[in-house]
Amino acid sequence: MRQVAIVAGGEAKAGRRAASWRDLVQEAGKALFEDVDNLSPKDVDSIFVGAAQPERFAFLSYVAPLVAEHIGVTPRKVIARTELACVSGQAAIRYAWNCVATGMSDIAVAIGVEKMYQPDMAEAQTTMTCVLDREWDGVNCFSAPPIFAVTAQRHMYEFGTTKEQMALVSVKNHHYSSLNPIAHLQKEVTVEAVLKSPMVAPPLNLFDCCPMTDGSAGVILVPAEEAKKYTDTPMYLIGSGQYAVGNVINNLANLAEWAPLKLAAKEAYRTAKITKDDVDIAEVHDCFTISEIMEYEGLGFCETGKGGKFIEDGKPYIGGKVAVNPSGGIMGCGHPLGATSIYHTFEILKQFRGDVDMGRYVKGAEIGIQHSLSGAANQHSILVCSRELR
Amino acid sequence: MSMVKFEKIKRPEKIGLPFMLDFYPLQDEKYTRTSQFFKNLKEGHLTTTKCKKCGELLWPPRVICSNCHSEKLEWFDLGTEGELYAFTEIRLGAPIGFVEDVPFCIGIVRIGGLLISARIDGAKYEDLKIGDKVNLKIVELPDSRVFYRFSRNKEQKLPIP
Ligand SMILES: [Zn+2]
Repeated sequence: MRQVAIVAGGEAKAGRRAASWRDLVQEAGKALFEDVDNLSPKDVDSIFVGAAQPERFAFLSYVAPLVAEHIGVTPRKVIARTELACVSGQAAIRYAWNCVATGMSDIAVAIGVEKMYQPDMAEAQTTMTCVLDREWDGVNCFSAPPIFAVTAQRHMYEFGTTKEQMALVSVKNHHYSSLNPIAHLQKEVTVEAVLKSPMVAPPLNLFDCCPMTDGSAGVILVPAEEAKKYTDTPMYLIGSGQYAVGNVINNLANLAEWAPLKLAAKEAYRTAKITKDDVDIAEVHDCFTISEIMEYEGLGFCETGKGGKFIEDGKPYIGGKVAVNPSGGIMGCGHPLGATSIYHTFEILKQFRGDVDMGRYVKGAEIGIQHSLSGAANQHSILVCSRELR
Repeated sequence: MSMVKFEKIKRPEKIGLPFMLDFYPLQDEKYTRTSQFFKNLKEGHLTTTKCKKCGELLWPPRVICSNCHSEKLEWFDLGTEGELYAFTEIRLGAPIGFVEDVPFCIGIVRIGGLLISARIDGAKYEDLKIGDKVNLKIVELPDSRVFYRFSRNKEQKLPIP
């Protein structure tokens, strides 16, 4: 197996965009190839398109050839769309990584896209409610906010986590996204503003939830030994972990403790030959404030049940124990489902390059992890990225 | 001014709720091999499949045991009284077909050894607490399909305001 590097990234401005599904992917594609030397779309032999629900959001199936056509790529080794709900983008990276590692592909693009704003937002809600088992959980209106609302309720009940602690996640991530020009939300919020924002599904207020966002982002993967041909600052993929337990609510491991995350983290650290203490940057899936709190725990940064205290003590800030979501996370940058993980992976590359606002720069970072979850948090995926080949 | 011809064409003014955008499952034996679940529900019984070979209680109902792949399954009655494990209230962002019901409570109910999600009728969010007893209730849709819900046990006194 070959070691693999990411040599370029490109992204569309995330937000409530006056742009179509295919407009967004063209913007990301252009930015992607402008970010790399000595490599044109025609050199790419494989493409993976992360798209969670194009059938419903854009009324399009069979989107991988459409994307290839629009960004000028002519796939001749492997082409596919990858779907794993909110992890569709990381799935695209994992497939591209596998293909380059095995030698099936020499230059692969992983690109994600989602267009979530539409004329009738109830239709968008309907679309997302079929991510959970539609006939048995979706039918009871368990879409993303309610399932994370009951998750938060159980975490508060079992561990005493507070609304104020959850709000601190929103405050931190909105602060960092205010310094990120591609982020959807660029205004700071206060704990008071979070607590006073409209109630979506108690105990979750609006500012406990990520926004609906349009966006697209891509990365290019090549064998590590070739990476310096294309850039002075490649980023190496050195480990990964992925774990799923059950799907319907009855078959989840436990609402208040994410066992599949712990297992995925263990595997990611093992394969990368690192420990949790080596992680400098963690771009994690803060779809709701409670998610990030449970990720501090699941990734091993603190004990189970102590995630609220962890942020209260300032540990997940830049300069703390580990910089969690210096991009502004999903909370601040937005969550265009199929593109989210790729935005976050590119963020780690930009951090390694020092190509970010100094107010959110993690100086000297060597190891970054990108974590995404999907469904009722029954599936967790982690990539481990390194500035140096190891 | 261009000389190209312009013509207004007709489209349907409104497209009704297409079947595959309806959240309630198709229940007829023409569409599913677990139609017995809904027949049992019509008679007031919330049931699921249990594997006769390995004993696994399977939710949602299956045609093949996901534990041992046996096809010998039997219907197991989950009872009518459950306990509230977690709950919330939909106040914003309901999907099509449920927007008119907002606000309404939903929850996860511990019943017959399972944790199943359901609508929780007859209570506001503030009235509920973890551990509350809830009773099975059956709702019938206009097209005579059925589904289960729970309602808060009447013997529990609502808090006096
Ligand atoms: Zn069995």
